[in-house]
Amino acid sequence: MRDILKMSLTLAMVAALSASLLTGVHNITEPVILERQEREYYEAIERFFPAVEDFQTKEIDSNQYDLIYDQDGEELGVMGTIETQGYDGAIRYNLAVDAEGVIQGIVIVSHTETPGIGDVIETDQFQEQFVGKGYDDPLEDGEDVDTVSGATLSTGAMLSSIRRTVNTIAEQFLGEEREYIDVSEIPDGVYEASVDGTHGVLTVEVEVENGEIVRVDVPEQNETEAYFVDSYPEIPERIVEEQRVEVDTQTGATLTAERIVDAVKKALADAAPEIEDEAEDNGGDNNNEGE
Amino acid sequence: MKESNVYVQDLSRGIIKENPVFRLLLGMCPVLGVTAFLINGLGMGLAATAVLIASNVVVASLKNFIPAQVRIPIFIVIIATFVTIIEMVLQAFQPALYDALGVFVPLIVVNCMILGRAEAFASKKPILRSLLDGIGVGIGFTLALGILSLVREVFGQGTILGPEPESSIHLFGEAFEPMGLFAQPPGAFIALGLLLAINNIIFKKYNL
Repeated sequence: MRDILKMSLTLAMVAALSASLLTGVHNITEPVILERQEREYYEAIERFFPAVEDFQTKEIDSNQYDLIYDQDGEELGVMGTIETQGYDGAIRYNLAVDAEGVIQGIVIVSHTETPGIGDVIETDQFQEQFVGKGYDDPLEDGEDVDTVSGATLSTGAMLSSIRRTVNTIAEQFLGEEREYIDVSEIPDGVYEASVDGTHGVLTVEVEVENGEIVRVDVPEQNETEAYFVDSYPEIPERIVEEQRVEVDTQTGATLTAERIVDAVKKALADAAPEIEDEAEDNGGDNNNEGE
Repeated sequence: MKESNVYVQDLSRGIIKENPVFRLLLGMCPVLGVTAFLINGLGMGLAATAVLIASNVVVASLKNFIPAQVRIPIFIVIIATFVTIIEMVLQAFQPALYDALGVFVPLIVVNCMILGRAEAFASKKPILRSLLDGIGVGIGFTLALGILSLVREVFGQGTILGPEPESSIHLFGEAFEPMGLFAQPPGAFIALGLLLAINNIIFKKYNL
């Protein structure tokens, strides 16, 4: 009995000492860490928006967007802090977009991509190809920007996340609008389309009734099981619920989710032949995703 | 044996004769994980050394109060405390190194080299000898990580003192295409195996 008491007391004492020591060190280091992170972030803002005077923080889908204003209250652009899924864990980066929806620069905050392979996302060579392009550009692999061969997954994840972020920023904060497929113009029916997936084709079925998407199904797919269950039925359900194809695909299985979205786009674009550009666009996209 | 000899032995044992990496093969996880760059290898070595010295001293000074039945949990709490301190200090004052070492800093907690010295040495020996032992083993560990990461960086990246572009020196010019294998985890195993072989040849030759 005495032994047990002594053991527990000693262990408790050691743990208590340890906890108080850690609290002390934490109190010293925490402000330094936060201050440094903040300083680095503001330095990046000042680099991309030298006239910055004021900013306003907004949050969309747990990503943070800072709207940057100059001294006259004129909007200079938006700095996004984005977290996306890379090849191996989360990639956090800042994306600076000016008021015209043009990318000013990319800063990788943290990532765990493979050293020597996926960490090319940190290189100027990869990042600079985005600078000067923006909302009015396709931002598609092989068209105006390129993934890095040998590191297709890391760079592809960055590429599609940057494209999504530019779209979000331009549409949410800069008042830009793009013509999307108008479902109400599409005649009733079941439309099918396929895109290349991870290990083979992914086919979707989209049912349109009275100008509304009433059902999205994936009758054929060869995706990685764990990723597929993350996106299905969630993504199809959201498409039906939101009645738009461009649902947010930040689920941790971005590639699979995007393929479903792409296939739905393709099916609807085929059904609405008047928007031919859009259909061609998606064709190119699908081919690249499968590479 | 003269008394000063004991201290010299405590200090030197861990460096060559019982080098934790090349002789005892302890703490392999960080050895293989963070040695792609010399800076990272040395940083990891020094971080582990700091934890080892602190934990050795504390364990040695508390050894009479620690009940034998709960000594392992107490050792782990002590080690974890120092690891967390190191982690917070690195994050605050050496952010580049902290980012490079990543998950391997918290993993120092389960580095068997550190628990091994606490259990096998510090919990039985006086404070001063435990301190010297911690310094010696720490130097040995840092040295081994330094050698391995130097080999891997030179062959795998073609640089020394990378990855920061300001400080890194290109040994073979910018055009050199490095052997990417050495930068990868399999390259760590291969490099470690080759170094162990060289090490064994030397030990055999000089009958150490």
